Parts: sequence; structure tokens; C-alpha cells
Amino acid sequence: MTSSIVFDHLSFSYQNTTAPALQDISGEMTRGSFTMVMGHSGAGKSTLCCAINGLVPRFLRGIYEGMVMVEGMETGKNSVPYMARIVGIVLQDFEAQLFSTNVELEMAFGLENQCLPRTDMEERINDYLRVVGLEELLRRDTGTLSGGQKQRLAIGSVLAMETPVLVMDEPTTDIDPEGRHHILSLIRRLRTRERTLVVTDLDAEAAVQADQIWLLKDGQLVAKGPPAEILQDSSLIESCGIRPLATVALFQAMNWPGQPLTVEAAAAEIENRRLLCPRRPECRAISVLAPGKVIMETRNLSYRYPASATNALNDVDLTIHEGDFVAMLGQNGSGKTTLAKHFNGLLKPTAGDMLVRGRPVKNYRRHELAREVGYVFQNPDHQIFAPTVREEVSFGPRILGMDRKTLERNIAEALDATGLSGFEDKNPFLLNRGERQRVAVASILAVKPAVIILDEPTTGLDYVHQRDTMEMLKRLNQFGHTIIIITHAMWIAEAYASRSILMKEGRILLDGPTSTVFSDEAMLAAASLAPSDLIRLRNRLGLAAMTLSDMVKELKNEAVPPGSF
Amino acid sequence: MNLTFYNDEATWLHRLDPRTKIGGVLLIFVICLCFNHPLFIAVILTGVLAIFTTAKSIKILWKLRFLLVLLFVFSAVLWPFFIKGKTILFQWHGLEVSSESLLYGFAMGLRLMTFVSAGLLLLATTKNEEITNGLIRLGIPYPAAFALATAIRLAPTFADAGATIVQAQVSRGLDLDSRNIFSRFKRFAPLSIPIFISAMRYTNFLAMALESKGFQPDAPRTSYYEPRITGKDWLVLGFLTLTLAACLYLRLYLHWGIIISGRL
Repeated sequence: MTSSIVFDHLSFSYQNTTAPALQDISGEMTRGSFTMVMGHSGAGKSTLCCAINGLVPRFLRGIYEGMVMVEGMETGKNSVPYMARIVGIVLQDFEAQLFSTNVELEMAFGLENQCLPRTDMEERINDYLRVVGLEELLRRDTGTLSGGQKQRLAIGSVLAMETPVLVMDEPTTDIDPEGRHHILSLIRRLRTRERTLVVTDLDAEAAVQADQIWLLKDGQLVAKGPPAEILQDSSLIESCGIRPLATVALFQAMNWPGQPLTVEAAAAEIENRRLLCPRRPECRAISVLAPGKVIMETRNLSYRYPASATNALNDVDLTIHEGDFVAMLGQNGSGKTTLAKHFNGLLKPTAGDMLVRGRPVKNYRRHELAREVGYVFQNPDHQIFAPTVREEVSFGPRILGMDRKTLERNIAEALDATGLSGFEDKNPFLLNRGERQRVAVASILAVKPAVIILDEPTTGLDYVHQRDTMEMLKRLNQFGHTIIIITHAMWIAEAYASRSILMKEGRILLDGPTSTVFSDEAMLAAASLAPSDLIRLRNRLGLAAMTLSDMVKELKNEAVPPGSF
Repeated sequence: MNLTFYNDEATWLHRLDPRTKIGGVLLIFVICLCFNHPLFIAVILTGVLAIFTTAKSIKILWKLRFLLVLLFVFSAVLWPFFIKGKTILFQWHGLEVSSESLLYGFAMGLRLMTFVSAGLLLLATTKNEEITNGLIRLGIPYPAAFALATAIRLAPTFADAGATIVQAQVSRGLDLDSRNIFSRFKRFAPLSIPIFISAMRYTNFLAMALESKGFQPDAPRTSYYEPRITGKDWLVLGFLTLTLAACLYLRLYLHWGIIISGRL
């Protein structure tokens, strides 16, 4: 097998930084292979991707040592547009990559740069739109596509250039579960072709299909090998900021033999080896919510965006209680964010009512409502503006006219709750994404709203940061804040929310205790969602627990110890 | 607000060569400058509106109704104070307003509306890529043409980011309705800094994406849409040139359409 990409002692530090982004990376990827590059945020995954097509060091400058050879060409010695003949790259932010008026022209852009004649372009555009499943949307304005479609278009437009190497940097981040499913199956199909594939992702479940996994940690290549080998070492991948495979983790915790990588393999293993006695489904404990006082209520709420022909929300009746920890789930466009924006009065219902503490939102003054309901937007960069963390966090309380003493106390408490004590004088723009997310939460928290809404609080964070963020929200919930999260990450809803609301096409499909909602796989499928591997296994085994440790406890009470039969 | 102006239809105007449309808009601009009588300019504006309807794009113009009304009102109110006419309507502390200057103000308002509408006609019926292509074929250097098209392309993106940023800050208690001049100034930073930073990030990222797809501003490249000048294009250009000639004749020889002579 010939090698397609060779890293030879590659080290790189970005300009004006001290810590190296990559340190002494050596290794090769063979032609036609599929390599998954994994690691915590800031581990150097994106830098590694950019080093393959020359963006590092030609566009993103810094100190570069060693070399990268791609299909016999030395990356660092050629310009990025020149390398584009052999390396296609799908960058992390798919929104910013789409540039053209419509789908067809987006596909054509790279081909125009390759000076292809029009007839060839047409042929390739049609071919590759079929590959990514967008052939129906030839003339569509790219701005009107869904997130998943945009990502597939970004991939398609790079595929059309027919480069022997294809690199994708976190192609499933920020995409709803259905879109993610499409992209993962697309990657699976791309493998059959004569093409070297390099993909980065944070999710171990996506890595199972790769030929090789490269594990990065703080810029160093700590391990590489086939998935069966790497993914079995739960503690290693967890130390790299990746959530271990649920099946492997469960088997290890239970001391069961075998290390299945998928739910199907795990279920088969359990059955074949008779690890469990057959269970009766009725023994599953039924969880009930213990609702507190009503804090927010919608009554027959409908909403239609201006200039839109259809309602974004239809007759939504919903009651939120004090102390709830709610996860709002559903595809993009199902109405989650639209509904949440009613909670703090950013949107006004077209019909029906939105009540906060029994009082219609329209009767609140802006600053009164801000004290009741806080809203943390998805992208922290849409709100950070101050030169220090302290000033950023004090903006809300100050503008709401809090006195100096309360203000100081609130800021200290907010920073403490978000784990940012000691960051007061730091520049928020220089913090990493996880820290910026926490600054955004702290700046809402400092107002001490009764309800905190978070839109996708874990997007763009690695496992460690996701867990930190969620543990922080759990603490806030225990302190008495009502928490509402909008999320695409099923495991987060499963492990942290006490109540889940399933939305589809502007209506509430299902609303109940999370453990009940996630037992109803048919209903989840109707909303184009699927539980995480852990919960799929739990449902197959008929367990009640929602987390790994609870599941182990539940199983330990009845599992057959290996060797006893 | 949605600042995407392209309206995907298949009318005769959409099919014209972008060069014809760019040239045509310039001709309309000059025709507008021939007269300063509001009635004459109103006729030109009506013509432009008629073209809008045949291009099925009047809804694009509707998006900018506030801007158009604002332009008209401002110019109709301000011009009369800077122009002197014969028939004085009223005088006040050295300021005077005459019926000629008032009509001139109307004319200038209508002219601005016609300018904006004609420009919008181009944007509504021509894809960004076609405009770039047209400009290059007209001899504009590629980087300049590309920069212009990029600016048009990015306006809606930044407007979207701006709308999100406003919502994010309002959620934190920022009061956009306050009348106090100090609080108005104070709310400038929470909005402008995130908009600026996100625009910087976006453009930097876009540059990376373009280079990664093999784009070089000075290298030769082919074009997926290859516009061709047809008989229709010559017809349109011919018609507009004749109109311009006729307008020049009316103004220069017959002295029609003039409310204040010696001014454009």
C-alpha cells in the first residue's frame, strides 16, 4: 500500500503564542484509507487538517518545523491554491464556506478555479450533487438550506474537485441529529472510492467505521491504531477529552468479557454469553416529576415569522415549573428556539399568550423580564464585548441598576458558579471556546434570573468541557434556578434533564420525564431523533437507569457473574 | 431584515447579459440627470417601476420601502433651504422657500429613488457571480470586481449576525428604546464590538475557504455561467441610448423639464 500523506516530525506554533499547537507529529496515512483524528478542543485537530493542505503555514503563520508530504508534494513549499489540486478540505465553519448565490454555482466555484470547461462542470456538478443527495436543489439559494444540507453542499463542492485527498474538520458539529446521520452515512459511502479520507470528530460513535484513529492531546500524537484497539481503552480516550463508547464502558464497568463497539454487538454479546437473566419489562421503575410552583406558561401560543407563509409554532400549551430541568429536543426548524425566545419576550406571540409568573410577557418592562428569565445564546461571541471578564459579567446587573454591593456579590457568585474565579481581569476574547461559553453563562447568572435558558450550551465543546458545563447547570438547578436547555446532544438530555420536551413542526410531540421520553424510541424516531447508544442498550435490556453508573448499580443487583454457569 | 436582493425568476431581464444590465443602469442614471423637473423624473421612475413589474421583482423594491420614503422626504425637506427660486412662498430669518426650490426638492427626492430603484433592478435580476463576470468582461480588474461582489454578498450575512447580537444583548437587559443620549452612547459598544469581531472572523475564514478551493485572484479561471450578448441585449441598449438622446434633445434644445436652469 502506498502512502498518501506523510507527517515527518511536524511541529507548529501559531504566531504570538507560546504553547505549540502541534508537537513532533510523525505518521502516515495510506492511499484510500480513512483516518479519524480525535482529541479535546485545542488538541491540534484543526491545525493538523490545515497542515495537510498548506493553510498551515502559508495562511496561518507561525513557527513550522518538520514537513508534510501529500501525494509526493511537500505542503509547506507550495501555495494553498496549488495544493488544492490534490487536497480538498471542508473547514469547520460550514456557514462561512458557502459563498455563492445558489447550489449549482457553489458546486462550480472550485471547478472554475480548475479551469474546467462548462460541459465537464455540468457533468461533475450533477454527479456529485447525487452523491451528497442534493440533486433536487440545484437552483436553491444556499441561504435557505438547513444546516445539514449546507454541510453536505460544502462537502459536495469539495468532492466535485476530485482531489485524491479529502479532509473534513468536524463535519458533524453544530448539525441536528438527522443531518448528522446523513453526513456519517455519506462518509461511509465515500470510503468505497479511491480516496484518502481524513476526518476529525469529537464523538467516538462516529469513529467506529474508520480504518485508523489518531488520538491527539495537547498537540501530541498520543496513540494511533485501528478503532477496535483505540476505542477499547476508555481511560485513554477520556483523558483526551472524548466520551468513551457507552458499550465498552458498560462492559468494562460490569467486568464482562468482550468489548463490543456497537449496541447491536453488545446486545448479541449479552445474549450469547447469557450475561443477564431474561427480564420482565414491568419491573422498570416509573419516574414521576415533582413539579414546583408554575413559573412560565404558554396558552395556545402560535407564532408566524413576518413574511413567512406558515406558522413556526402552532397552539403550544406548556407549563414550566420552578426547579424544572428541561431539555427541548427536535430537529432544526422544529420550533425549539422560536418557543424559547417567547419565554423572555424576544418574540411576541401571533396568537395565544405567554405568561411569566401568571402575568403576560407584554406587560413586563424589558429589565423586569431580564431579571426573571435569562437567555444564553448559542454563540458566546455574539455577546462578548468588554475588555475584561469582570466588566463583561457586570454589564447585565449594571444596566438593570443593581447597587454596587449586590453587584459585587452577584459577580463573585456568578464567577464562582461557573468556575471562573480568578479570571476577573482576563480578556474574554483570549479565552478558549469553553471558557467563553462560561463567561456568557456567568454574565446571565449575575442578574440572578429565576429561569435560565441556554441555546445549545455544549456545541463546539469537547467532552470534558461539556461535562463541566452541564455539572455547573446541575448545581445551579440545585440552587433553585429553573434550567431550560435546547440541545442536539442526546446524551446530555438523557444524563442531566429531568424533563424532556420533544418538538416537531412547531408542535409539542411529547413532554414528560426524560426517562419516559427516551424509552419511547418510536416517538423519538417520529421527531427524527434517536437515543444515545447507552440508552438504546438500556431500552433493549429494559432497565430504568439513565446514566452509566446507575445502570451498573441496577445491573449489579441481578447480573450473572461470569463463570458461574 | 433580509438583505438578499436577488430574486430567482426567469424573466427577459434575468436572461439579459450582465454587461447590458450594468450598462443599462448607467444609462438610466444619466437619463435621470437630464431633467430637474419632478414630473419628468416621475415619468422616468414610472418607467423603472414598469420594468420591475415585468421582471416580477416589485417585492424586492418593497423590502426597501422605508429607505425610499426616507430618501424622498429628506431631500424634499432639505433642498428647498439651499436653493433660491423666484416665487417666494415664505421667508423666515433669512431662510426662504420658493415654489421652484420646493419642486426642485421633490425632483431630487424622486431622482434618488430612481437611482436606488435602478440599482436594485440590477441586483434583483442578476446573480452575484454574473455581476462579477460582467464587470470583468467590461475590463474591471478581477480583484476589484470580486471585492464588490463580495461586499454585496456579505451584507445579508452581517445583517443576520447583527440581528442575533441585538437579541443577545437585549436579553441581558440592554434597552434599545431609551431616549437618554448617554445610554444611547453606552449601548454602542455592546453591539458594535461583537459585530466587528464576528465580521473579522468570518472574512478571515472565508479567505481560507476560497484559497483552499484553489482560488487565486490573478489566475485564469473559467466561468460556469457564460453570458452571451444577443439581439435582445442590443435592442435594450439601443432603446436606452435613443431615450437618452431624446432626453438630451428635449433638455438642451427645447429646454423642457427644467425647473431651475443651470443645475443638473
